[in-house]
Amino acid sequence: MPEIRKRYDALVIGGGITGMQAALDLGEQGYDVLLVEKYASIGGIMVGLNKVFPTLDCSSCICTPRMAESSHHSHIQVQTWAEVLKVDPEGDGFVATIEKKPRYVDEDMCIGCSKCELECPVDVPHEFDQGLGARRAIYIPHGNAIPQKAVLDAEHCIFCGKCEKVCPTECIVFDQVAEQVETRVGAVIIATGLDITPMARKPEYGGGRLLNVMNPLAMERVQSSNGPYGRVLRPSDGKIPRKIAYVQCAGSRDRSIGVPYCSRVCCMYSLKQALLLRHYIHGVEVTLYHMDIRAFGKGYEQFYQRTMKEGVRVIKGKVATIKEVDNNDLVVRVEMLDEGGRVEERRHDLVVLAQGLVPAWHAHGVVACDEASDGFMATPEGKINPSFTTLSGVFVAGVAAGPKDIPDAIVEAGEAAMAAAGRLQRTGWHKVPAVAAAAN
Amino acid sequence: MGEKTTTGKADRPKRPIEILRDRLGGVSKELQASVKEQGRIRKLLRGALAGGPRTVPELGAECELPTTTVLWHLMAMRRYGQVVEAGEAGDYVRYALKGSE
Repeated sequence: MPEIRKRYDALVIGGGITGMQAALDLGEQGYDVLLVEKYASIGGIMVGLNKVFPTLDCSSCICTPRMAESSHHSHIQVQTWAEVLKVDPEGDGFVATIEKKPRYVDEDMCIGCSKCELECPVDVPHEFDQGLGARRAIYIPHGNAIPQKAVLDAEHCIFCGKCEKVCPTECIVFDQVAEQVETRVGAVIIATGLDITPMARKPEYGGGRLLNVMNPLAMERVQSSNGPYGRVLRPSDGKIPRKIAYVQCAGSRDRSIGVPYCSRVCCMYSLKQALLLRHYIHGVEVTLYHMDIRAFGKGYEQFYQRTMKEGVRVIKGKVATIKEVDNNDLVVRVEMLDEGGRVEERRHDLVVLAQGLVPAWHAHGVVACDEASDGFMATPEGKINPSFTTLSGVFVAGVAAGPKDIPDAIVEAGEAAMAAAGRLQRTGWHKVPAVAAAAN
Repeated sequence: MGEKTTTGKADRPKRPIEILRDRLGGVSKELQASVKEQGRIRKLLRGALAGGPRTVPELGAECELPTTTVLWHLMAMRRYGQVVEAGEAGDYVRYALKGSE
């Protein structure tokens, strides 16, 4: 891996689909970009999704070409397993301090053969599979990871040395330490993405304790062909679920948990997952309880209609509680809004909570940009310059600026890249010859 | 009596793996216990599966383990090529040791 250089045109924080797109849009114009990702692979949330709505295209089939392109682009340097600690203004640009976490593997020498992973005796819940599957203490992040390089989780290492013995390239480096590097950049794009609202905030829905109440990202992994179970099973006992419920707005439009906004994607990802369950499990009953369905994007309303035609039951009802009964089955207590508010208790063997989106990262202490009252980055010129933050030269794109779907995030990444390019030209940080010539 | 020559472990320079282990305070008791428990559960599961394909509830009953624990370990074994699917029994999948199915 090349060392982080002293100077780039732009720093992109976050290597998900938004960050990769912003980096590619800048790189294609000839600007040199440093793309920093905290995880051991780029790809973000999207590479772990099963399919995308409303087309039902394979998510990783769309995401992995972007990952490869970013990784191999002559104007983009990807630094995974690293965090941006500080971004301070300096002259026309910024000084960024980046911490490279120890991977305990020489990335130049690792050939991604997985021999270390196969030999390692310690199994650990895999973050990529939302803890439902296992990885080893030394592991390749996932099958589509870029770079396909091992990383050692030292907290779970028993220091048996088996990985070192079996490695054909002798690339295990136990004496690596964290390293802080400073670099100068002319513009910054924040593309730090999302987390989902924590289940613990909804005790009436089990508070994360009920084995068969899943979060939507776990269901994405369970539905994926390379997921933890290889098919759709429920976590308590491996049963093929026959009656599945989706509970909408389980973490959005809810002032009691500090998330008053609509997360914009939950209706659509739930409809998508519900439809796919009908395809994956013969005869499965899937019921979606909602306050109202928000299907506002291109082709989304048609997808909603198709989902109902293919047998998903969509019930206007507010779920009050979810309780566990015998055999880890679940009883959903629901106010049937279209039936005069009649309260009904309905039994399911698996429930998915349509949890909302919250920011995965906060600027406080790193870069002097304001956050809005909802915790996402403030965009004071949201109508005409949606990627502008409160600090000149720092731009934001994707869910870091507020909940949105993948197409909107990609559009915003392009906007942020153009805004950053404009600044680089104005300040003279880097005048790309072709652009400068055309301007003259 | 001649002077003793020490050629023991204490005299040789520490290897990087040992330095890292010391720097991180060794292997925690929790991790040691977890690895030991993993070994115990895998032995139980392999023993039960040696008798033929089983579902998760069957393995749970036979090995006296919670079914959610059985599923997690079984899926870890499946991921690393020790266990394969071997048909279905009602609402459950049967699993078998690889090569025995």
